[in-house]
Amino acid sequence: MTDSVSAKPEDSTLVRVRGLTTVLNGKKVFDALDMDIPRGKITAIMGPSGTGKTTLLKHITGQMRGDAGEIVVDGQNVSSLSREKLFELRERIGYLFQNSALLTDFDVFENVAFPLRQHTKLPEVLIRNIVLTKLQAVGLRGAAALLPAELSGGMARRVALARAIVFDPMLILYDEPFVGLDPIALNQVLKLIRTLNQTLGITSVLVAHELEAIKRVADHIYLIANGKVVAQGDPKTIANDGSPWTRQFFGGEADGPVPFQYPAGDYAASLGFPRGNP
Amino acid sequence: MRRDNIVLRSLAQIGDCALFLLRILAAIPRSLRHVRETVRQLWFVGAMSLIIIMVCGLFVGMVLGLQLYDVLSIFGGTSATGTVVAIAIYRELGPVVTALLFAGRAGTSITAEIGLMRATDQIAAMEMMAVDPIAYVAVPRFLAGVIAMPLLCCVFCALGIFGGHLVGVSWLGIDNGTFWSNMTASVELVKDVINGVLWKSVVFGTVVSLIAVFQGYTTPPTSEGVAYATTRTVVASSIAILALDFVLTAFLM
Repeated sequence: MTDSVSAKPEDSTLVRVRGLTTVLNGKKVFDALDMDIPRGKITAIMGPSGTGKTTLLKHITGQMRGDAGEIVVDGQNVSSLSREKLFELRERIGYLFQNSALLTDFDVFENVAFPLRQHTKLPEVLIRNIVLTKLQAVGLRGAAALLPAELSGGMARRVALARAIVFDPMLILYDEPFVGLDPIALNQVLKLIRTLNQTLGITSVLVAHELEAIKRVADHIYLIANGKVVAQGDPKTIANDGSPWTRQFFGGEADGPVPFQYPAGDYAASLGFPRGNP
Repeated sequence: MRRDNIVLRSLAQIGDCALFLLRILAAIPRSLRHVRETVRQLWFVGAMSLIIIMVCGLFVGMVLGLQLYDVLSIFGGTSATGTVVAIAIYRELGPVVTALLFAGRAGTSITAEIGLMRATDQIAAMEMMAVDPIAYVAVPRFLAGVIAMPLLCCVFCALGIFGGHLVGVSWLGIDNGTFWSNMTASVELVKDVINGVLWKSVVFGTVVSLIAVFQGYTTPPTSEGVAYATTRTVVASSIAILALDFVLTAFLM
């Protein structure tokens, strides 16, 4: 792993998003979005489905580029980085994919060892110890020899988590980390996220819908909808915010500023009733 | 750019494919550290294709021997059976049929594998782990195809001639010495073996591997997308092999 910790005085903001505007297939996903991810904290990004939370993570890691605005990660403008510089930055970022994205040809051990083998020349015994330590942390040391096809969805997610943290990166992006986890695994993953943050100072960004789980670990929550940040604050503040956005989202109400129905024509007409006489 | 016209779409695909080849060539030095992956792919696309190549080579040679014996016996020239079998296999059937079989057996598996890797975010995961998927995924499969094709072609040719011998000599009674001596007297190393077997199979191996890797890498990440990409690999490879065969034959003769 690189040892390129910035020599300059550290900015308290690790990720700075300014004026991000993205249009995909004619739909404005982000509309001049501004967001700050503080260094060494756990930040949760929440919002209705399809609002662009995963897309935002892809922007932060340079997998996608916006139509306007800038994203600065650890002092580097992601959209203007060369491929080599972007890869150097990504070596310091862990990313947990929504669908785990394990390499199906390799067993669990080799999946977790993959980044180490690609970027270091560590002796085999050290690689083995690091991998087993990470697998122990996610409770899957005993599954090291299994293939991804032999894992349940929750187990695959924990293996992917072990792979994401194998380098102890400066920033970890978790895309839906709690989906498919049983209560025991959920509790352990929450503790792991908190431990990584507290002991190693790793900055974490969580994209999730599980408010109760988020409340237990997040220092700051952003609620995004309609391409903008509509509410933000620590879990207690945002829960008592009282705005129509937070009331609808955290209350799970169908009516509110976020439409439950995807835009469609007249319902009665779709069912074949004459207009005005359902 | 408008791509709704089939001609424009095809030309755009060829252009994209050529650009992809440049990316592959540029990534070859970076992929040298993944030699083990290249060897692993060589096993999958080369060694695992051996059975089909051997069986088909044998039967093509046997059919050729049978047909030629039948035609040549009209003119009392059955002693030339070995010669014609060898020349037909070296110059045309060996490289062309091996390439078509290779496209069906190895090309489709390369496309489907890379396509599924894209559909399940494995390619994106490599990008996120700062591993260049072109160097790690595309180049080893491409190089494996380029290396495996000439070797498979040699096996096909050997089995084809053996098949011709089996029918001509062992079954139909052509003299063994006549079969081999006529063949060795007529077959030329440069014109038939190097120009026929070697050059054609290297070019076909390059084209089929490029098409297979390109189709897999650029497939839409859906099950339907992977299915279409696999089909396109076979169709595009077959057309490219037969068209290039004409061009190469015209230049190499």
